[in-house]
Amino acid sequence: MSGGSRTTALLPGRLSAFLRRDFREALTYKFSFVSSFVGILLSSATFYFVAKLVPPGTPSLGPFGGDYFSFAVVGVAFSSLLGMFQEGLSAVVRSAQVSGTLEALLVTPASIPTVLFGSSLYSLILQVFRTLLHLGVALAFFGMILGRVNGPGVLCVGVLTVLCFLGVGVLSASFILVYKTGNPFGWILGTVSGLLGGVVFPVALLPPWIRWVSSLLPVTYALDGMRKSLLASVGFAEILPDIAALAVFNIILVPASLLAFRLAVRKAKKDGTLSHF
Amino acid sequence: MNPTPAILAENLVKRYPVVRGFRDLVRRPFERRTTTALDGLDLRVERGRAFCLLGPNGAGKTTLIKILATLVLPDGGRASVDGHDVERHPGPVKNAVGYAINDERSFYWRLTGRQNLEFFGALYGLRGPARDRRIDEVLRLTRLEAAADLRFNAYSTGMRQMLAFARALLADASILLVDEPTRSLDPQAADRIGSFLRGELVEGEGKTVFWATHDLAEAAEFAHEIAVIGRGRIRLQGTVASLTGEGRMSLRQVYEKAVGDPPVSR
Repeated sequence: MSGGSRTTALLPGRLSAFLRRDFREALTYKFSFVSSFVGILLSSATFYFVAKLVPPGTPSLGPFGGDYFSFAVVGVAFSSLLGMFQEGLSAVVRSAQVSGTLEALLVTPASIPTVLFGSSLYSLILQVFRTLLHLGVALAFFGMILGRVNGPGVLCVGVLTVLCFLGVGVLSASFILVYKTGNPFGWILGTVSGLLGGVVFPVALLPPWIRWVSSLLPVTYALDGMRKSLLASVGFAEILPDIAALAVFNIILVPASLLAFRLAVRKAKKDGTLSHF
Repeated sequence: MNPTPAILAENLVKRYPVVRGFRDLVRRPFERRTTTALDGLDLRVERGRAFCLLGPNGAGKTTLIKILATLVLPDGGRASVDGHDVERHPGPVKNAVGYAINDERSFYWRLTGRQNLEFFGALYGLRGPARDRRIDEVLRLTRLEAAADLRFNAYSTGMRQMLAFARALLADASILLVDEPTRSLDPQAADRIGSFLRGELVEGEGKTVFWATHDLAEAAEFAHEIAVIGRGRIRLQGTVASLTGEGRMSLRQVYEKAVGDPPVSR
């Protein structure tokens, strides 16, 4: 068996080892799941009451089904998920640097991308469950209104969004590998997206002089496409502009992030700072 | 007999960038200052030896080990492990080497010793019953069977060091890199580690143990061969008997004669 095919054959075993490791560690922190569930309940309740201030049929909510609570729940649930994809990889690199495990991981024959992705896999899967739980709680207890769900739209927007945010995540991880802290990608995208990406209010409410910034943020298209697919009963054609924009982000971000990561690993190995923190 | 040496370094050079303050960055933004850790180091380590690399703090021992473990890239010269170039073929090097990292933070403290080994075993490509058998073997070899199902945070310092050896042995690599394994151990525990490395691993299992230390007594007692590193170069290499002229000089005298000033800044 060649080196490459052997590595590929070992990949599922290695990834499941990361999952098992993190699950076992999580089991030792018994209250983390409970606190996470309570957090989701409180967040849903907050937006449930805020939504009472927003009358149904508000024009800016029209393209998204018209109900503010449903609009906000999708925004908050999916922005948390995207935040995890965006920040998860750099967080695991930073955590392994600080905890001292990074060197032990990197001397094994597992490739650096395997270590990076494997280390964040549990958090990413957990966040997907939290997002589904968030939507489930909102549907079951707070009267969230789903439209006629556009399944292919959800899938297409979802896949493109995940790839795009993983790209940002790899860029962030590259920065952390070399500079250790102060990741600008996470800060810029995280902070700016929260305000200008349409997470808790429609982008259409922003003044025109700043609305153009929203058009530069992938989260704008991700949430727009996801809300229309889940809440507004629209067909595939109506979310094509969002899909096209996300595809463009992917064409730029995915190769750029892979190149940045390769250069970052080489620089950290050259400087002898791979495991420094 | 395999003629390829376990470890070979030729004219190996490593310079680290010096971290500069803001004022310096503003005044001389394009200047690049470096500290030389390895300055044209040559070394050959044959197979099946307990080889001690002796040197003071900052002499380049850890840098050399990290280059051999593919964690640091050299700036010049070349190094190979088991015949594989560390820069061009890091994959085969990782398969040939077990690096016993002596930092206890390199384990997952809330997992048991066995769970830690299961995780790292999977990264070394071990699966299923073969992995479990290998874990049992390395636990027996390191005499940690009774403590295998205790959480790592309940281990003593000596047990943590032994678990680091167990982890490095998981893949049954032929070459073991060990960086100051007896640091922070009491003399009895240090003796047990020394006996384990030479007795069990080198003489029992036929492995090559490349062992960095600044403890002369440890090197004299357990090494087949010693190299003294100073200012980024190998100053002396040979058996204890040959270096001390069959006992006419003490190892301390030999060492002090070989080791000069600390690494130079450029």
